[in-house]
Amino acid sequence: MWFTTQDQHLDRHFFLLAVTIYGLSMIYSVFLWRKGFRRDTWVNYFLLLAGFGLHTTAMALRGFDLKHCPVNNLYEATTFIAWTIVAAYLIVGAFPRLRFLGAFASPVLFAMGVFALMPSLDPPHGPTPEFSGADTSLHAALILLAYGAFGLAAVAGFMFLTQEHNLKFHKLRAVLTLFPPIQRLELITNRLVLTGFILLTAGLVIGACLPRPAGTEFFDDPKIIWSGFLWVLYLALLVSRWRFAQSGRRFAVGVIGAFAFLVLTFWGTALLSPLHHP
Amino acid sequence: MIVVLGLSHHSSPVELRERFAFHEARVPAILQLLRQERIVEEAVILSTCNRVEIYASTPLDTPKAFAELKEFLVTCHDYRDPLTDEIYMLSEPQSIHHLFKVACGIDSMVLGETEILGQLKKAYDLALQHQHTGPRLNKAFQRAFNVAKHIRTETSIQRGSVSVGSVAVELAEKIFSSLDHRHVMIIGAGDTSEKTARALLSRGAQSIIVTNRSHERAQALATEFGGRAVNFDDWSNEFAHIDIVISSTAAPHHILTRAKLEPLMKLRKNRPLLLVDIAVPRDIDPEVNLLPNVYLYNIDDLQAIADDYLKQRKEEIVRCEKIIHQKAESLLGLKTSTDIAGDNRLPFPNLRKSA
Repeated sequence: MWFTTQDQHLDRHFFLLAVTIYGLSMIYSVFLWRKGFRRDTWVNYFLLLAGFGLHTTAMALRGFDLKHCPVNNLYEATTFIAWTIVAAYLIVGAFPRLRFLGAFASPVLFAMGVFALMPSLDPPHGPTPEFSGADTSLHAALILLAYGAFGLAAVAGFMFLTQEHNLKFHKLRAVLTLFPPIQRLELITNRLVLTGFILLTAGLVIGACLPRPAGTEFFDDPKIIWSGFLWVLYLALLVSRWRFAQSGRRFAVGVIGAFAFLVLTFWGTALLSPLHHP
Repeated sequence: MIVVLGLSHHSSPVELRERFAFHEARVPAILQLLRQERIVEEAVILSTCNRVEIYASTPLDTPKAFAELKEFLVTCHDYRDPLTDEIYMLSEPQSIHHLFKVACGIDSMVLGETEILGQLKKAYDLALQHQHTGPRLNKAFQRAFNVAKHIRTETSIQRGSVSVGSVAVELAEKIFSSLDHRHVMIIGAGDTSEKTARALLSRGAQSIIVTNRSHERAQALATEFGGRAVNFDDWSNEFAHIDIVISSTAAPHHILTRAKLEPLMKLRKNRPLLLVDIAVPRDIDPEVNLLPNVYLYNIDDLQAIADDYLKQRKEEIVRCEKIIHQKAESLLGLKTSTDIAGDNRLPFPNLRKSA
């Protein structure tokens, strides 16, 4: 084994603490929701910041043991995506009007965290990691960063749908809430999808240049076919938005749907892939 | 002892309030006169469209102070008709409570409005500049301003808009990233639509287009707003550039229907459109709200939001009064020690000399 049992427990314990804090943030978000997001609050921001600190520590411990980016199995990949979402939120959440993104992000983070902690997703590694080398790490990191951007875009899209519904149906909370204007939410969703798409494209290009293990075909691999489909899906969303003037509502539904598809099929395709799960 | 004597929209009609109003330029001289006659040691006069009040620190016993102040007020305005309950007189602690309530907008006609705080500050500054305030009123007014700030941050008494026009502006701010560069169209010139357009312009809207069955009226209004007028038959041609529409025609039927708007929305490419229909009967078919990126509000929707805001403000009154009570108690507790020191010194030596 490349790390001791004690070390393995240590980094997973840090992650467990981070997930607990994400859970607390989710509970607090329910109160914020019930109050109609009327008060600007740093509580959720600081909870997620604390969770991020523990989360980063857990990833750093694993990374230092691996001596490269910790993206070797489904546990590590899932924690990396969640980490990207928190990191992106902590940047945009510094702006008061976008701070409530945290309330929508915390349930996603908590669900991802609980899922990642399932023991079967984190099997002990062999004497050497399955994936090694700077290019491989960069390929995996870029793609997981893209997933993080898509995740945050889905959160912003959900926020857009909530506020759009309030405005359409003349709910008082549409004006009482401290949410940003829906036009800005639409812009944020759009930019996050574009960022994610660029990162995904770069990650896939780097992946295509990686040496192929003997006896494997790129285009027979379910994960690669799935990644290609995902790339086309997000491209279609962006094109329909720009070229065919798709409404903000449809775009937001599309972004949420695409991320739901990503989350629900990511693990399955990874398990089926001989290249990614040898 | 701080006392308040005055009349407000609660106690008297506008005809009486205007008789007792003080012109700002006269206030320093009147304050000087009040003090020269030894009725008060310190005084501030607040005179607005809804209230005329004298806040004073007086050495006289309360009934005598009230009688003298009332006589002064009546004589000052040469008012000879009988007065019953129109003039109210409050002594401590009610006078302090009243001052704090006025500062917070709780005693205002529009509950929670903030304009009164500015007027109170101005009245106080005027008295301060002319050295008609002293330690008691300075402390009371400074505390009143702090209480107003505290209540604004801790309660929702000043939250939201309670007029139809300002609710429309608030809605626009929830839809558009910024009101800068927004184009507004007024269909049919009416009082509420004018007020709404004015509010939108003050919040940064870039231009106003006015259309009306009477083109002259549209032209006049457009000139007033620095916008332009378009023929009533051509208004839909402008829709590709418009972000906010305020409609208030006297048309007996819908002038904007879903069938008419749907092709126009395609020209707008993702841009949201806020439609404010303040006409009765309605100008805009409610079905247009089903179109993507269209947000339609009629007069009842806006009024319902304004009423909800007002209801919320009313619900906050108990919390505000609790805070005011605590702060007033705290001030009066502090004042006791000041009084002990203050009694041995002359607040206005120059006045004593001149008197």
